[in-house]
Amino acid sequence: MKRKIGVYICECGPNIADNVHINKILEAVSSFGETDDIEIVVKSYKLLCSGEGKEYLKNEIEENKLTHLIVAACSPRDHNSTFINVCKQTSLNPYLYRMINIREHCAWIVHDKEQATERAIRYIRGGLRRVLFQTELYEKKLDINPDVLVVGGGIAGLEVALSLASPQRKVFLIEKKEILGGYAALYQSLLPRQQEARQEVQLKIKEVTNHPHIQVMTHTRLDQMIGFLGNFEVGVSSIGDSGTATDMKVGAIVVATGFSMTAISNFPQFRVRDGDEVYSALDIEGMLSEKGQIVRRSGDAPKSVGLIHCVGRDERGYCSRICCNAMIKIAGQIKAQDASIKVSAFIRDLCLPDKMDQDFFKEVKAQGVEFIRVQDIKSDGLRVQYTGMDMHSVNADFDMLVLAPAMEPAEGTAGLASDLGIPLHETGFYQEAHQTINPVATATDGVFVVGAAHGPKGITDSVLQAQAAAAKIMSMLIPGEKIIPEVKVSEVLEAFCMGCKTCLEVCHYGAIVFDEEKSISVVKEAICRGCGNCAGSCPSGAIQLKHFTNPQIYQEVIEALR
Amino acid sequence: MSKMLKMVSDAEKSIVGFLKYLLDSGKVSGVLTLRQINESGSVDYGLVTRSSELDRAVPLMPVMPVNAAEILSNLTPSRKPLAVVVKPCELRGFIERIKREQGSLENLLVISQTCGGVVPMKVSVKSKNKTLTADYYKAVARGEIPDHIRPTCKACEYFVPMTADITVSMIGEAVSSCRIFLNSDKAVSMAEGFDVPAEDGELDVSITESHLVKRRNERSRLFKQIESEQKGLDDLLQVFGKCIGCHACSRVCPICYCTLCDFESRHFDQNVTLFEKELDQKGGLRLPPDTLFFHLGRMSHMSFSCVGCGQCTDVCPAEIDVSAQFMRTGEMTAARFNYVPGKDVSEEIPVMVFKEEEFQEIGE
Amino acid sequence: MGADPHCGAEISVEKETGKTILNFLKHMLNQKLIDGLLMPVMVPSGDSYAWILMKDSTLVDRANPLAPVMPVQGAKALKSLTRKGKSDMTVAAVMRPCEVKAAVELSKLSQVNLDQLILVSYDCPGAIPLEMYSQDPAGKESHFRSMIEGKQFEEDSVKPVCQFCTDFSVPASDLHFALAGEEGSKPVIVSCSEKGSSLMDKMGLKTSHDLTPWENRVEEIRKAKSKKREEIYKTVQHMVEGFDNLLDTFSDCIGCHNCQSACPICYCRQCYFDSKEARPEARFLLEQAEKRGGISFPQDKILFHVGRMSHMSLSCVSCGLCSDACPVSIPVARIFSYVGSQTQKAFEYDAGKTAGEALPMKEYKMDELQEIHEMIKSAESGEVPHE
Repeated sequence: MKRKIGVYICECGPNIADNVHINKILEAVSSFGETDDIEIVVKSYKLLCSGEGKEYLKNEIEENKLTHLIVAACSPRDHNSTFINVCKQTSLNPYLYRMINIREHCAWIVHDKEQATERAIRYIRGGLRRVLFQTELYEKKLDINPDVLVVGGGIAGLEVALSLASPQRKVFLIEKKEILGGYAALYQSLLPRQQEARQEVQLKIKEVTNHPHIQVMTHTRLDQMIGFLGNFEVGVSSIGDSGTATDMKVGAIVVATGFSMTAISNFPQFRVRDGDEVYSALDIEGMLSEKGQIVRRSGDAPKSVGLIHCVGRDERGYCSRICCNAMIKIAGQIKAQDASIKVSAFIRDLCLPDKMDQDFFKEVKAQGVEFIRVQDIKSDGLRVQYTGMDMHSVNADFDMLVLAPAMEPAEGTAGLASDLGIPLHETGFYQEAHQTINPVATATDGVFVVGAAHGPKGITDSVLQAQAAAAKIMSMLIPGEKIIPEVKVSEVLEAFCMGCKTCLEVCHYGAIVFDEEKSISVVKEAICRGCGNCAGSCPSGAIQLKHFTNPQIYQEVIEALR
Repeated sequence: MSKMLKMVSDAEKSIVGFLKYLLDSGKVSGVLTLRQINESGSVDYGLVTRSSELDRAVPLMPVMPVNAAEILSNLTPSRKPLAVVVKPCELRGFIERIKREQGSLENLLVISQTCGGVVPMKVSVKSKNKTLTADYYKAVARGEIPDHIRPTCKACEYFVPMTADITVSMIGEAVSSCRIFLNSDKAVSMAEGFDVPAEDGELDVSITESHLVKRRNERSRLFKQIESEQKGLDDLLQVFGKCIGCHACSRVCPICYCTLCDFESRHFDQNVTLFEKELDQKGGLRLPPDTLFFHLGRMSHMSFSCVGCGQCTDVCPAEIDVSAQFMRTGEMTAARFNYVPGKDVSEEIPVMVFKEEEFQEIGE
Repeated sequence: MGADPHCGAEISVEKETGKTILNFLKHMLNQKLIDGLLMPVMVPSGDSYAWILMKDSTLVDRANPLAPVMPVQGAKALKSLTRKGKSDMTVAAVMRPCEVKAAVELSKLSQVNLDQLILVSYDCPGAIPLEMYSQDPAGKESHFRSMIEGKQFEEDSVKPVCQFCTDFSVPASDLHFALAGEEGSKPVIVSCSEKGSSLMDKMGLKTSHDLTPWENRVEEIRKAKSKKREEIYKTVQHMVEGFDNLLDTFSDCIGCHNCQSACPICYCRQCYFDSKEARPEARFLLEQAEKRGGISFPQDKILFHVGRMSHMSLSCVSCGLCSDACPVSIPVARIFSYVGSQTQKAFEYDAGKTAGEALPMKEYKMDELQEIHEMIKSAESGEVPHE
């Protein structure tokens, strides 16, 4: 079978041409095909990624009837897809093409022109050997379900549901409590303008419950999930006696399960006995909502209030971001209630990240709230003992103490993470796919995490993430359009697999399952991301990554070590 | 009348000199030969491309760490001319492989010898080939069968290579001299320009014939013993009962070329419920199973191509004389088809050929 | 260990220890506590043993649970039995501690199903090298018997890896025969798991025998063997450190891969090094020969051994079958045992100790291999890395 390989060396303007001897490369490559059945066509071109360059390449493939293609140019990160698209416009299968990086890996880093030339030649020859072992691969198109399941009916979940629901896209919203709204519905007021929280949140809840394309199921939990992006099958059931189970098919899942507050009793350095006037910031929010003012159990207002920030920050290992603002707000409201009440706020650092926060802080401070920076602090009943920045130890007694405990992952986070196949961060919150460049996606394609479930944050940021996730889902799952899963997936050779499950256990995407009858591993192609962990872990080579098989890689290595 | 070269030094030196000439003159690009790889005397096959690397070559040493047939399969088809020095059974094994598309004679100059036999691996490794070879060469020069060679070598009737381009006369040849016979046009043209001019000469048939008689005696003695061990299942169990199922015999066999032996494939995986049933019915069974089955299966797959090299016996950790068993079965099977393994590359293996008139007796 | 870790149960004792164990197992079979027994039985030619799964009493009488040699690793027999499918059959297998360890390692690779098995081990004095045994089976039989009866656990006549084996007593089995007591002491059975305890209960055995003297004796022997291990590992170290030493050590290797075939841990249907991909093409071979002046066959000799080390040394149980199988007497067992001890140490892993300990290759711990972090840090800061 005659094979004709086209090798096109891009000069990349001066980037490559100035740093290697193009003519030497042309010569070395043309002498590669020493057997009868391989013919090499090798040419150079000024700039292959340009419009003319791509047209040139397309013509070269067709006219020369090339069976394989090598492009020696810049990094595949830049233009691999460019040339794949060129192939797609011809009869050449794009997986019989290979891009060789002679810019970032060669011309730009090897300063001796002779050495750079030699390296470029080796890389290209390695690619030539490799491409002969490559096989045609074909993209598959899968039907998708555009509907979405939102787990959690707090502010983030409500926002996602409203952003996504449409006549072409149904949203299922499940909430484990019997009411929607989450913590946001319990706040007394929303910063910065201190609008009434309950009203705002209730409006959203009403919109969601009345929406024709959102199905709300309260007092319901997620039981199981199988499938992949565009094709999830989930089972939910109602909590409580009836336990009715419902199955549904969705294309994406958004986790918006929120947070919970750490109990103050977890911190022995703050000793609270029954009946002590010690409250958490959330307790005070509730008190303000109900009674409109701060009062002791006896009914009278306190004469002095101590506010302790950062409770549990050291133990948990992270800042909970919203408490400083919340505590400053509470301080301001106490002063607004009665300016004569002594208010002392004990702080470690101050977390004031948003653009209006500094002004707000100044306002409240101007109302006479004392902010004391401490090195360490503890309390016993209503007596506070702290060490100031001057290293002096001080005791201070109050009529009431308010503590700001850390936010922590909601109950059931670990279980849900396991069901959905998404990892947890070491703090216990869900782990996003990438902290900076992919913050709402997770390791499982099609499963997103938004709001406080992802990490401590306030309503603004939760809403932000909810909208981001909705946007991603809208672009990934377009009703009526199919998706193309990864082509370069792993494959198990049944003849050689001994069913030791090593590949299965190192796969982080859950893309490998076990066939009990045949005692072999099987790859679920639609979930496989082509990372190759499995291929690396199999001692026998019984599982291989398409387009990165052992023989293909070996060919490059042979040339590199020549 | 064929041609020959009459060398002035002993066989080993002469052949090394000839091989150096072939490399230096550019007539071949590489030479496959046995060579010493370290000071302590370990010997390996090597593909040599520089004549200085031939200083340590021992092309005629009576050892066989690996049957060269497998190496030749990996080296061919070769795009450049190579000279290979192999023993007659290795050559016959390679011919059998070629019939199964596992190699090619193209571009090969095959040099072999009238072979006095090979020393078993355990012996050659322990003694590091020193005193043993001295005794060996003396016996061979006298036209006798040396004492400490493989039992299957003692019984080998094909010690004169049948398809080699060049044959080195060893049996019955004086130790200090050497004659090499050029059996093909290729050989004659390769030798042109060598210090020693070619002259007319033929291998002395009387020597080889008388040696053949000795070998035939050994063979019938060996086969008589085997016959008594192959009368039925009980006998076979006596022989193969201690087999540990390592399959080393098949791995080193020049004929066994399958990348994954059927007996190691999924086809032979058994479900535990089968063992449960067998245990119930028979009261006992051996684990792992199919010990004898493997050998019978291997016999049916390749014994008619068996060239009696004896590698299998050498590597068997249970010290079973596998080679003798397979040689005898192989000879009987091949005889049914009038087939001689390794004789002629154009003679197709019986499994690939159907003749209407074969096995008439079964028809009867 | 079982219910009371310091007590074992006395059993009815025969003149020969082997017979004692055999009768105990027969009893288990007759009481229908198990469906079958897996034990070594001598082969027809009288110079080796084979694993036989049995329930017929005449077969059981022919078995020798304390076989002097180990031609086939017991874990391999267990693998062929339990790897595929599920059944209610329960089989008691009498194995050496290293065979039990290998079975435990294989269970972590889904090759052996421990649920169907009752693993019975015994204080093992070691195994006679296969080659020595086949030269004089009768002599070695009586020699081994006298080692058992004389409670000699520090003999030089056993394989080198056996001489330094510190796991010769009670690994991850269910029941264990304590044989290494003082001279004249009777064999006692010890339970090592819930399964074992429950069996002993069903057999009406009372754990009343104080094991302290036996434990002390075992500790003594273990200390002596540990010292032997250090000595032997020292000699192995220079065999493998540095490429030149490796080349020298494996110079006689003919690439038969017997070591891999005999190894209980090597479970791959087709070893990567036997695959087509691992066989370089003809053209490449000639190119390499031209570049270097010559290449040796078998190709990639050292790569095979180092590759096998990287694939299985973390599970090596130092059973020594590799050396028994090697036709050119390379001390593979000592070498792999040494390398295995080093790689296992790096992951704080003890191969075969317990079925609950995950294989290092399948488990990622964030704090593992700290010493490599240190090495990288000091290399980056310009410090000279230490050996």
